[in-house]
Amino acid sequence: MTTRRQFTALFAGTVLASSTTRAKAAAPRPGGELVFGLDGAAVVKFVLDPHNSGFAPHNRVFRSIFDSLVVLLPDQSLGPWLAASWEISPDQRAYTFRLRPGITFHDGTKLDAAAVKTNLDRIKNPANALVALPDIGPYAGTDVLDATTLRINLTEPFAPLLRNLSKTTLGIVSPAALAKYGDTIGQNPIGSGPFRFVSLSQGTEIRLARNPDYQWSPPNAAHAGPAYLDLLTFKNVPEEATRVAALRSKQVHAADTIPPQNIVSLKADSEFRVLQKELLNHNYTLHLNVARAPWDDNDIRKAVQLSLDIDTIVKVIYLGTQPRAWSALSPSIFASSQKELTGSWKPDSKKAAVTLDRKGWVAGHDGIREKDGKRLTVSFIDTQGNREKRLDVIQLARRQLARNGIELVIDSEPAGAYIRKATDNEYDLAAGSQFAPDPDVLRRLYLPDGRDAASVSKLNDPEISQWLRDATREGDAERRAELYRKVERKLIEKAYAIPVYVLLYTIAHAADVNGITIDTHGFPEFHSAWLGA
Amino acid sequence: MSATGDGATRRMPTPPLTRLRAARPARSRGRVLGLTRRPPWALVLPALVVAAMLACAIVPDWIAPFDPTDMDGDAILQSPGAAHWLGTDHFGRDIFSLLVYGARESLLMGGCAVAVGGLVGGLIGMVAGYVGRAVDMAAMRLIDIWLSVPDILLAIIIATALGSSLRNTILAVGLVNVPRFARMMRAQVIALKAKPFVAASRAIGSTQRVVLFGHILPHCLSPMLVMATLGLGNAILIGASLSFIGLGVIDDRPDWGFLLTQGRSYLTAAWWFATFPGLAITALVISVNLLGDALRRRIDPRLRPV
Amino acid sequence: MPYPLRRAAAALLVIFGAITLVFLVLYWLPGDAATLVAGENATAETVADTRARLGTDRPLWVQYGSYLGGLAHGDLGISFGTNEPVAARIRAQLPATLELTGFACLVAVVAGVVFGVVSAVNQGGWVDHGIQAAMLFFTSMPSFWLGILLIMVFSVTLQWLPAIGSGSLVQLVLPVACLGLAASGKLARMVRNSVLDVLEEPFVTTLRGNGLRESQVLYTHVLRNALIPVVTLLGILVGELMSGAAVTETVFARQGLGRLLVESLGVKDVPMVQGVILVVSILYVIVNLLVDLSYSLIDRRIQAAA
Repeated sequence: MTTRRQFTALFAGTVLASSTTRAKAAAPRPGGELVFGLDGAAVVKFVLDPHNSGFAPHNRVFRSIFDSLVVLLPDQSLGPWLAASWEISPDQRAYTFRLRPGITFHDGTKLDAAAVKTNLDRIKNPANALVALPDIGPYAGTDVLDATTLRINLTEPFAPLLRNLSKTTLGIVSPAALAKYGDTIGQNPIGSGPFRFVSLSQGTEIRLARNPDYQWSPPNAAHAGPAYLDLLTFKNVPEEATRVAALRSKQVHAADTIPPQNIVSLKADSEFRVLQKELLNHNYTLHLNVARAPWDDNDIRKAVQLSLDIDTIVKVIYLGTQPRAWSALSPSIFASSQKELTGSWKPDSKKAAVTLDRKGWVAGHDGIREKDGKRLTVSFIDTQGNREKRLDVIQLARRQLARNGIELVIDSEPAGAYIRKATDNEYDLAAGSQFAPDPDVLRRLYLPDGRDAASVSKLNDPEISQWLRDATREGDAERRAELYRKVERKLIEKAYAIPVYVLLYTIAHAADVNGITIDTHGFPEFHSAWLGA
Repeated sequence: MSATGDGATRRMPTPPLTRLRAARPARSRGRVLGLTRRPPWALVLPALVVAAMLACAIVPDWIAPFDPTDMDGDAILQSPGAAHWLGTDHFGRDIFSLLVYGARESLLMGGCAVAVGGLVGGLIGMVAGYVGRAVDMAAMRLIDIWLSVPDILLAIIIATALGSSLRNTILAVGLVNVPRFARMMRAQVIALKAKPFVAASRAIGSTQRVVLFGHILPHCLSPMLVMATLGLGNAILIGASLSFIGLGVIDDRPDWGFLLTQGRSYLTAAWWFATFPGLAITALVISVNLLGDALRRRIDPRLRPV
Repeated sequence: MPYPLRRAAAALLVIFGAITLVFLVLYWLPGDAATLVAGENATAETVADTRARLGTDRPLWVQYGSYLGGLAHGDLGISFGTNEPVAARIRAQLPATLELTGFACLVAVVAGVVFGVVSAVNQGGWVDHGIQAAMLFFTSMPSFWLGILLIMVFSVTLQWLPAIGSGSLVQLVLPVACLGLAASGKLARMVRNSVLDVLEEPFVTTLRGNGLRESQVLYTHVLRNALIPVVTLLGILVGELMSGAAVTETVFARQGLGRLLVESLGVKDVPMVQGVILVVSILYVIVNLLVDLSYSLIDRRIQAAA
């Protein structure tokens, strides 16, 4: 029929016009289910307890279920969220927060000062041994001043506190749920976020539904009020080929952690959009075990560092989709020295060879250096497999080191054996990353006290330790930044740490999906997501 | 894997009419041997393939155009062409050269695994079959227990327990193969024990050892060899699955299973990376299976190829 | 004791043995479960407390005894990983694996029989060669490669079928095809040979001579005999399928025991691994028991018929 054809043409024209002006004009439509293909990688079990997981894939789900007291804004400053305002005492040992009134958890109970207190006390309790414990530092307790006012007391100043409070790891859990579920809280997450937990199929799927009462989104959110989507389902697809296939075959609306070889083709494909944002973290960094000879020798460490060509490694493995890391802290973190340290060292295998020769490590019959009958072998210990192509990085590194007579051996262990070997120093090289918005994460790796026994870094440098302790207590932002920059510089100068790449968290989604955003931390947000025409 | 005759625990009912086969005339023998029906290429082609792969394993440097560890940063994920016949991988290594050098790793892993299975299993089967009674019962129960956990699952458990290394992979896959060889050996020994020449040998006063190693064992070798050939293909496939699960060995000279595992995420971006190692494995397993079948037909015409 | 009861008793012994075997392997698996469970920030005391709570500080035989005691009550212990009862988690994951394995078995049997018969009837023709080649290919491919290829072709390119998930029937199609096709190859060859055997029996010529239609000859007499290898192979087939499920479940992001096993092994979740192995070996043993019992039935009937 002519009229219908005309109408269709008009409609198509309108759609075309609006899509070319990039959908600012299109109004969000409520309803629908968004299926998200998540890279759960080494996830065995979904433990949806925000206080007990340092694992990024879990935290990507937490942001939709749990809210935080404050929000990290794009300029790295902090804005109000559950807490409408706050004051820090002059001695920096008391933080008084005023919460927004009327916030409720998904089970109907009130999110008030007492609820926050319960959360913090729980994290502090050493018997719980929660992963979030270091995030609250020298927490001494909370005073509930009235229904919506609380005062957090610290035994000494703790500069990272506010930023840590914006993390999902300090998300607020319903105390009623904690009391009710106890040990199984990980399978029954109750928060106050834009989505509430419905059910999960252990290891495969997490199903969330809109929280219709949600009225307390952070100020930088695209809209206030409840989410648009009816349902949000995370499907765990660790197999990257399958995950991308599921996206391309439209079985999932969006997928994350897209491998570099697919990013280029997805970007070029008009049916898909690709979002990329830096994950605020301590970059994936190589650490020689300084607690074991000969890696306690500065010169030997420098020789290893100079034998590596990190630029080439990053270019080859990530195909230009991720930049190289020059500092331990990722570029956007407050006090990151990425800019200052760019170009601070260049590979120089000749100089490295001279150093090694001088130290007595001379090439043996198969090219690998030996001294006193011992081979110059670097045993790299690993348990996470090839996520983010890390083992590919190590393989390439191995080749580069071999050219200079250094032998790198990859020791892949299951989690239990890894922890034991790492604790007992039965390795030469370890590597890892840790998501964190605050430079205080350096303390978790490079300060011996309170460090996890199986930490990837066994550094014990008094000067760095002192800087880190001072920085944790320093209230003045500029002075604090200066201390961290000193740490970062020394880490590179002394080859204590060899950063590799900056992680850009990637989400690819179908073109008709709108409103998925990545927050300042680098975690996905679905509050304003909607499924379009 | 094959369900070869294994004696007591599984009796294969022989349809009565098939029993007439033993008295068949020679004309049909030829047909049974498959010589008249099976086209010649079914034997020649696999033999050529296996020979080629053995050549790659023994003298890879003569065949491979590049050093497999050579990473050419400018030629990453290059499609097959003049310079790199089968393309390059994500490190810029030539895939053809990787396959050539990988032949040794794959064949070594498979061969040693089968050898381990054959030796251990053969020993158990021989002792069980020859000594009989209580020892036999105990051994058979052990074999049953061993068999009650399926192949790959058992290999995964053993490989996880031992840790990733070439030696441990060989052990894991080898131990998985033990029950098959044990059963086969046991059945052979039991069947042979009853033969007149064995009784005769004992009658003239030969020691047990002479009877066992001098008379019985030589007759068992051929069926064991057949089983080993057929088991080689299976061993390589299990090894590839272990690589996929993440229990593979990361080496400068990767085996085909590991190459396939690495290449699998590149199917859309660089199809050659996954396809050629996969084809190589498939070709090897097919060839080894066909050869094993041919061997079996020669050795025991009454046994149908499985 | 009548044969069925004897076999059932033997089966129980086998299951018992499998549990013991896995228990021992896990005990010696390196790493301390308590450290893993307690977490990175646990103090030495907390780890010690956890160890006491999990019971891993007790001597081997005490742990073993307590595990067996729990089994007697149907209690499979508490998972080290999630703190939930192992039995509950396995019960949740079992249906997906049963679904996958069951349908794959069906596909394997149907495809195997159909292809085998068609092949045999067209012996020597291009249909026969074509089917044989295809079957050979499917059995010799690494299963995860086949899985990914299927996803690429049917999900991504043709967009006919879903790539992942374990909820609906349509999500089963690709995983079942992947698992079932590989297994059907072996079966098809056995069926083909069995049918060829029977086809050349004199009684068939007689039947044909009597004017019976070819199809009737085929269906009523030949097929019945040809199905015997299916029964023979069924036990092994189920074992292979359960094995292959571990890989298939990972490739297609499905729930299931195979994937659960691999992941639990990685974190030394001893109760979970034991639970999975227990269930798997029970299933396997039951299937083999049924196969053996039906064997003796078939055999007796054939004996009687002769």
